[in-house]
Amino acid sequence: MKCAVDIESRDVEEMYINIDPIQAGGRLTAEAMRAAIAYGDGYSVCDNCRNPPRLDYIKNPPIAQYHADLAAWLNMDTARVVPGARRGFQAVASTLVEKGDPVILTSLAHYTEFMAVEAAGGIPREIPKDAKNHITPDAAAEKIEAVIREFSKTPPLLFVDHVDYQFGNVHDVAGIAKVAHQYDIPVLVNGAYTVGIMPVDGKALGADFVVGSGHKSMAAPAPSGVLATTNEHAERVFRTTQAKGDVTGRTFGMKEIEMMGCTLMGVTVVGMMASFPRVRERVQHWDTEVAHSQAVVDALLSIEGTKVLSDYPRQHTLTRIDTRESFDTVAQQHKKRGFFLASDMKKRGITGVIPGSTRVWKFNTFGLTEKQIRHVGEAFVEVARENGLNII
Amino acid sequence: MSKRAVDAVFQALFLLSDVRFLLRETAPGHDLNEAQKARAATTLDKVKRQVAILEEELIR
Repeated sequence: MKCAVDIESRDVEEMYINIDPIQAGGRLTAEAMRAAIAYGDGYSVCDNCRNPPRLDYIKNPPIAQYHADLAAWLNMDTARVVPGARRGFQAVASTLVEKGDPVILTSLAHYTEFMAVEAAGGIPREIPKDAKNHITPDAAAEKIEAVIREFSKTPPLLFVDHVDYQFGNVHDVAGIAKVAHQYDIPVLVNGAYTVGIMPVDGKALGADFVVGSGHKSMAAPAPSGVLATTNEHAERVFRTTQAKGDVTGRTFGMKEIEMMGCTLMGVTVVGMMASFPRVRERVQHWDTEVAHSQAVVDALLSIEGTKVLSDYPRQHTLTRIDTRESFDTVAQQHKKRGFFLASDMKKRGITGVIPGSTRVWKFNTFGLTEKQIRHVGEAFVEVARENGLNII
Repeated sequence: MSKRAVDAVFQALFLLSDVRFLLRETAPGHDLNEAQKARAATTLDKVKRQVAILEEELIR
């Protein structure tokens, strides 16, 4: 069915169980779907924009209150909504990093962190991961020392991913922040895989900045996200424009430079807001989500030759799995080659396994019901059995 | 101006969003349990009421 000329309606979430690694936490709540219907028009939240004319001051819909609630929820002092986590990284890097500055990130950092550093003229330096695919405080300390030796200056910023996108491992952010602060390096915590799906306490993590993704983990339309910070940094990162037109003499009041004035002016911010009560509630059930993830991983591990590359037992719903000695051995002989797995899973009503992937791949079980979790686990085992793999 | 018709459109769309959400929760089989069937029935009744309001306001 088409929703417009040449645009098919997207019914993936209605027709299938979707275990795509990046889509799970961004599925809308029913409330956000309603909000999307009501606020689809471009500048829809601007009907009641008064003085000062800025998004985070709008009282109807209650966007101002939402900003305050977001900051409190993350245990930070102030927050802004941004068009995706990447724009949060960019705002911070653009503020703190000068051309030629070294910036610390990690060997598991998302590419957008590198791009934020590059755009600011910084030079990225990575903390290596250890054999268990963790970023440790000791490794952070060693890297900081090495970078200070190399550049004869202290990096102005350190990025660390609370949970990394490659393995879905939870990292010792508090320990790393403690080390960074010994060198007076502010810490940006990338919470793209945590804010909105598990409890996040910015102060407990020692974060100077917490960045979250609305469309990845807060059940919100894209592009959306949050940048939260402390009073120490807020004035600088959220500084207002001083620009003045030389011909017109115009000035632009309270518009914040790094936010380019206003950020999310319609369905994105209202979608985030509409989902917020449920998002706030769902993070309290993180243990159940992890247990669901564990159940599917255990089903996969019952297939002889399968290995889990993420931490085990699981501490997150995003998992990296190695099926080179199980499903990939089937792919060598199968007429569909590596496409058989995604195809056989789709026949069972499951999507999100990248077509062609039978070697090392990722999936995410966040948000599925108990029944759906059972179905996914049983489907993997059934596909394995039908293709002659041993179940142990 | 029919505020009643406008409200009915939104209400019907919102209720159908709840049905859409139910389809997601029960994918892929859409094999609803008794509680979900009751929820669907109540929601669809409410949708019918909104459609009736729209007929009243816009067509009759």
